[in-house]
Amino acid sequence: MEEVDNIIIHSLRSIGCSIDESVESLHQFNTEVIVEAAVKCLRVISGLTELPTSLPPGMSARFRLGTTLAQALTDLGYRGEIGYQTFLYSNEADIRRVFMFLVDKLPRESGEAVEETLGASLLLQRAISAELARRLSGPWSPPYCKTNNLVLRGKPAGLVREGCSASHRFLARAVTMPTGCGDLSKKIPKEIKAYYSKDLPLVSHQPLHKHELAPSLLEKNAQEVTSQQEWEFEWNQQGLASRLTQQEYKARKKQRLQKRIADQLRQGVQRGEAAASGTADLMQLVNSMSDKGAATSKTKGSRFTHTEKLQFAQDAEKAAAQIGVEGPKAETEEELQKKREDEVQQLRDELGGLTSKLENLELDMKKFNANMQQMEEQIGLEKRKNKEKEEAYKVKKRTLDLLPDAENNIVKLQSVVDSSAQRLVNLASQWEKHRAPLIQQYREVKELNENRVSEAQKKLEEIRVLREKMKEVADETRAKDDLCKQLMSEYERMTKDVNRSAYTKRIMEIVGNIKRQKEDIEKVLIDTRSIQKEINQLTGKLDRTFTVTDEVIFRDAKKDEGVRKAYKYLAALNENCNLLIKTVEETGGILREIRDLEDQLENESHKKTTANLEKIQSDFNEMKKENSTLIAKLKGK
Amino acid sequence: MLLMLEDEHKEHLAFLTSVGLDVVQEFCKISLGFIKKGSNPKMYQAAASKLGVDAETVMHGVEGLMYLFTESSKLMVNEIDFQDSIMTLGFPEDLKGLLLQQYLENRKEIRCILSEMSMDLPQYHNLEWRFDVKLASRSLKHQIDPTILLKLHIADSGERHTQVLQTDPSNLVHMTNVLDKALQEMKSQHCRRIVRNI
Amino acid sequence: MELSTEVTDGLQLSGDSAHIPDSVFGALVESVCDDLLNRENGGELQIADKFGSVDKASLKEAYAALMTFSLECAKNNADSSNISSVLEDCKFTTERIKTFTNIFLEKKSHIQALLGSVSHNPPHIVDVDWRLDYYIKNNHVDKVNQPTYLITLKTEECGQQDTKDVQFACTMEQLQDLVGKLKDATKSLEKASQM
Repeated sequence: MEEVDNIIIHSLRSIGCSIDESVESLHQFNTEVIVEAAVKCLRVISGLTELPTSLPPGMSARFRLGTTLAQALTDLGYRGEIGYQTFLYSNEADIRRVFMFLVDKLPRESGEAVEETLGASLLLQRAISAELARRLSGPWSPPYCKTNNLVLRGKPAGLVREGCSASHRFLARAVTMPTGCGDLSKKIPKEIKAYYSKDLPLVSHQPLHKHELAPSLLEKNAQEVTSQQEWEFEWNQQGLASRLTQQEYKARKKQRLQKRIADQLRQGVQRGEAAASGTADLMQLVNSMSDKGAATSKTKGSRFTHTEKLQFAQDAEKAAAQIGVEGPKAETEEELQKKREDEVQQLRDELGGLTSKLENLELDMKKFNANMQQMEEQIGLEKRKNKEKEEAYKVKKRTLDLLPDAENNIVKLQSVVDSSAQRLVNLASQWEKHRAPLIQQYREVKELNENRVSEAQKKLEEIRVLREKMKEVADETRAKDDLCKQLMSEYERMTKDVNRSAYTKRIMEIVGNIKRQKEDIEKVLIDTRSIQKEINQLTGKLDRTFTVTDEVIFRDAKKDEGVRKAYKYLAALNENCNLLIKTVEETGGILREIRDLEDQLENESHKKTTANLEKIQSDFNEMKKENSTLIAKLKGK
Repeated sequence: MLLMLEDEHKEHLAFLTSVGLDVVQEFCKISLGFIKKGSNPKMYQAAASKLGVDAETVMHGVEGLMYLFTESSKLMVNEIDFQDSIMTLGFPEDLKGLLLQQYLENRKEIRCILSEMSMDLPQYHNLEWRFDVKLASRSLKHQIDPTILLKLHIADSGERHTQVLQTDPSNLVHMTNVLDKALQEMKSQHCRRIVRNI
Repeated sequence: MELSTEVTDGLQLSGDSAHIPDSVFGALVESVCDDLLNRENGGELQIADKFGSVDKASLKEAYAALMTFSLECAKNNADSSNISSVLEDCKFTTERIKTFTNIFLEKKSHIQALLGSVSHNPPHIVDVDWRLDYYIKNNHVDKVNQPTYLITLKTEECGQQDTKDVQFACTMEQLQDLVGKLKDATKSLEKASQM
């Protein structure tokens, strides 16, 4: 019962009953505590506030309080027997039942809070309302009292931004940070190192305005991360398959790109040249026009303006009389110009002629060169032919030499031919001998190579799979971490009061008890059954023995007088024994009854009946006294 | 308060005594119409030929009435004062009654027209508000920044324009309190005394 | 939180006592946080005086990496466990992690406030002035006789130190309307704060 009491006492404390720390079971409750606790429970449950929490001094008032409490409880649906005596003259069992009922009826605020699904949106909503409460706390302060619009608000104090004079747009600048100073494997050029250590300003000094620092750094990091991811992706997709090292892959890609750019450029230049030839015509046209009209054109603008300036200078110095001179002067100037132009044109034409001649000559030269090559090739061909013919001539000459001694020579030749054929066969067999293992080796190596290639492919595939898996696992880990954190925070937020543990402990205990009791009961049942069986056996045996004896003696009794007597004794014995057994059984029944009664006695004695009786007696006396004083007062009036 | 009429004005109005009551009523209608919608000189010619007088006299009569009505409306002359003011014109009773009736009927409208002409400051027209919470931005992932967006509609000499402003909870509370106090100020002893005495 | 290899390299460098001695590390972290928060540039002084013996290129790299890391931590609202897991990966000793975490967490709210101010908003009302006039007459109408309020909303605009004014006039009724709406807003805020 201890656990139940613990739970009840804890619940009562949690609704604000002043129960001593030393109180551990309901047994220690006195009337005042019981009444206070019951009233507080009722207040929490049904909001009854008119009831006093402390026991009133007057006996009749106490009686009334007791009856109201009992009434309130029955109204709530309490089914047990209840009356004023339950509270005023308490016994432990009744009180326990009453409080168990009341505690069960208490609204479960904490329980509901735990049951609520703490979804993300709810959490967010709570965070928002907490933040709002924080912002609304504390007095207003004028804008000039805030540095950077920041104010401390709430408890614990946090920074709050009010106003926006210090806020800026997200504006990022390119910043440079030194790299690779810690990595000894990579060599950085000396000049760069010197630049890093001497001239490169700190990152915090690189942006023009201080408020651009944070965005710039964040942006740089984000950029780097993105480009790395991009590279990783590309490497996984294409780089690995190409079976090159990273550097090689990069170099190849670079080459490809450069080539493409170069192509584009070349095309662009060609297109540009085609266009330029058109514009050149245009330019010429413009030039000729400007010559006639003496207007400013881009090519001669500087000179013209120069002369103009000169004229203005002269204007400033000299009087208007000079104007007359100005005209011819300008004319000569123009003529000069024209002359020069002509000269240039002439020279240009000459140059054109010369270059075209040169080009012609070059063309000729090329042609001659080609001819020369052809000739050389021909010579080579002729030489080869010559050599072949010489060979043929030599063979023919030897055969001619051999012709006179033909027979002999034929035999000799035959033998030579034979021996060389022999040798050829020999060589062939030898070659065959060498060739077989070599071919074998070649095949083996080829196979091996193929194997290796396929293995490499497999490995590559594996690597890709592994990489993917790695990424997946990393993601999973992150998700799990997040979940873990969330659960941790939720766990921390959960109320870890005694209540829960007490309940579970109690439940476990009850379960254990029931198991033990069940075992006990089974044991007793088995015992009883075996005893019953024994008894049955014994009675059966007895019955059989008796009938047998009875039969034997009865048969003899017809003949013998003594035996008849014995038969009579036997009948009496049987009867007596039966009686005896019945008596024993009756004794057992009585003993059981006695035990029941004893239990009842114990129960009754638990109910503090005598003490309560005494209390009732004294209360009754007090009531009598009160009544008499009241009567006296009434009479006194 | 009595209306002080110029001699010239009196002269112009004296013409009205010479015509019938229904004509004066017509004149009143015309002059009120002119006040509301602007004058139309052609009417003078038509009226003059009908009455057999020259157009200038008619114009003077109508303008005189216009001036009388606007001036008395501007000064918010009450019934008795108006009667006393036109007494000096020597009009017969029924004519005075007619003028008074016309004046009282149209005073409010004329004042409206006059007040439209007066100088005006940008005037509050409406306010809309909205409550936002900033939860994350490019530079800060987790934040809770409640802001109140306000859209202020202001009417400035007939034109409406809006302005979007924002504020934070603390300043909103402050603003509400300050303006509420300003509103209460009108009910203070001092202000009531001034209102009563003017 | 994602960091580029450039930054992680820099962090590794700053965690390496061969490059950044223990004696200097704390001061370095502090100057990183201070430089982030100071509105004005402090000049190159720290480099010159405090860290005289350290290789300047390494110092600059460590400085940049720590600054980026601090910003990312503040941006993602990292707590000490997040921070230490990243720094452990960058081979920091426990003591250095502790040093960094202590200094950083102290300044975190300030850095977050700084990051929070990177935004663009409409003009922000920071104060309000009012004036009560009794409008008596003008050149067209006499006896107008009505109270008129002149309201000045003081607003701050992004990046500008001075406050600007939004001015308008309103009658009693209009002010009542305005105050009513503002009270409505305030009440709904208070309600939202008690959820």
